[in-house]
Amino acid sequence: MSYMLNPGAQSESNIEVHKYYGGTVLVAAFSALVLQAFLNKYGRWSELVDLPLLVTIYFGVSRRNPVTGMFLGGAIGILQDALSHDNPIGLYGIAKTIVGYLASTVGARIDTQHPVSRLALIFLFFHLHQIIFAVTQRVLLNHPEPFFTVRLLVNSLATAAFGVALFALLDRLRRSS
Amino acid sequence: MLDSTLRQRPLALLAALVLAQVLLLAFQIKRDHDVRLIRYWTAAAVMPFERSGTWGFSKTGGVWSEYIGLRGTRAENLRLRTELDQLRIRNRELEGQAGEAERLRLLLNFHEAHQETPMLAAQVIGASADPASHTLFLNRGDRDHVRRNQPVITPDGIVGKIVEVFPATSQVLLINDKDSGAGALLADTRTHGVVKGSGDPDPRLDYVVNDEPVHQGEMILTSGEDRIFPKDLLIGTVSMASQGNPFQTIHVRPAARLDRLEDVLILLTLQELKKTNESADAASAESGAPGIVQKEAPASAAAAKPASAKPAAASSANQTPAAAPTNSQN
Repeated sequence: MSYMLNPGAQSESNIEVHKYYGGTVLVAAFSALVLQAFLNKYGRWSELVDLPLLVTIYFGVSRRNPVTGMFLGGAIGILQDALSHDNPIGLYGIAKTIVGYLASTVGARIDTQHPVSRLALIFLFFHLHQIIFAVTQRVLLNHPEPFFTVRLLVNSLATAAFGVALFALLDRLRRSS
Repeated sequence: MLDSTLRQRPLALLAALVLAQVLLLAFQIKRDHDVRLIRYWTAAAVMPFERSGTWGFSKTGGVWSEYIGLRGTRAENLRLRTELDQLRIRNRELEGQAGEAERLRLLLNFHEAHQETPMLAAQVIGASADPASHTLFLNRGDRDHVRRNQPVITPDGIVGKIVEVFPATSQVLLINDKDSGAGALLADTRTHGVVKGSGDPDPRLDYVVNDEPVHQGEMILTSGEDRIFPKDLLIGTVSMASQGNPFQTIHVRPAARLDRLEDVLILLTLQELKKTNESADAASAESGAPGIVQKEAPASAAAAKPASAKPAAASSANQTPAAAPTNSQN
């Protein structure tokens, strides 16, 4: 807990870079997209959780490579845009590219194994993702997308809570070192 | 150092990736007036440079044309002025030639219309030094078989008669000279008289009694009784008529423009002028030459004097008393 509160106290070289079985990242990302699209068919409650964002954050902080993190986030975001009915391609892509990069960067500096830190990270990245998404919408599409609402707060909390559980599940897919 | 490079490279890569997606979005998004965002941005990015480039180019071109390019303007202006003067002179020459050609065309048409009548074209080369004497000098003389008392006419009307013949030139006494006289008749009534010069620009028709109706604009023709001018040549029109004692005072406006003659015809015969054919008639009509008055025109006149169709030389044999003073003046 102490290292989580004081990230500078721990050297970056001491933070473990997790590896996964082949295809795990692709399968997880693809499943998140499919599941998100599938759940969106059954009501608005599915919007409480942003599965592609959780996958982006998880593999970003776990692999701790900013380059792969941003590419993974970008790919997931573009596919998410492609699966949406009216989003121009790149809208989620930009937001998730930046989130993927920042998640990898943060994951390389602090340990993100603790559930509380994961909860906080997911919560923060959720709102960062929303801010980038809103800025892109406002600047490029001229749409008045809100930066923050109560609903977004509820969604961020739900996503963070679900993300802690999901991260623990995904931890099981790690290759033992 | 290496660590710094590794840290900066992903950041650049991130920027490139985000930029690529922004461009991807710009390709898809359409804003105002259905213009794609990428076009809008491109135009917004390029237009300031285009505008500044155009502004710079126009200013540079303006400096060049307004200052540097004007170095030779003064010399060019002088050259153009000289050229303009030359062209003006040339234009006047051409206008003169065109006028001369038109006059010659009228003479030629008149000549072709009366091919059976021997006539000689002549050019006016001078006038009298005495303002009171209305005479001209022609460039035709004895060498061209010009003789005294030969009539001088234009397609418009009669001019005068030859009074002096020199080897290469001759002198013409105009019909408005105070010593001139020509047998005449009014076209409508066939009333005879004598057109005499009065010293004024316009001659007068004398010896028309007060009872004869004379109206302004009536044509006055040669009667042929003076044995100089063939019959039925146009002299002019009545410009004013008033009662006198014992004859009317009738002012005549000559048909030929006596004050601006340049080319004339010298008739080498007293034979009445007849048109040769229909085509010549058409040519005469086209030339606007009313010098020969058609006898068919005034039906009443033709009926009043049917003998007018005979040659002037024949009619001149039966001179009226009115012709006597004319010839005596000649």
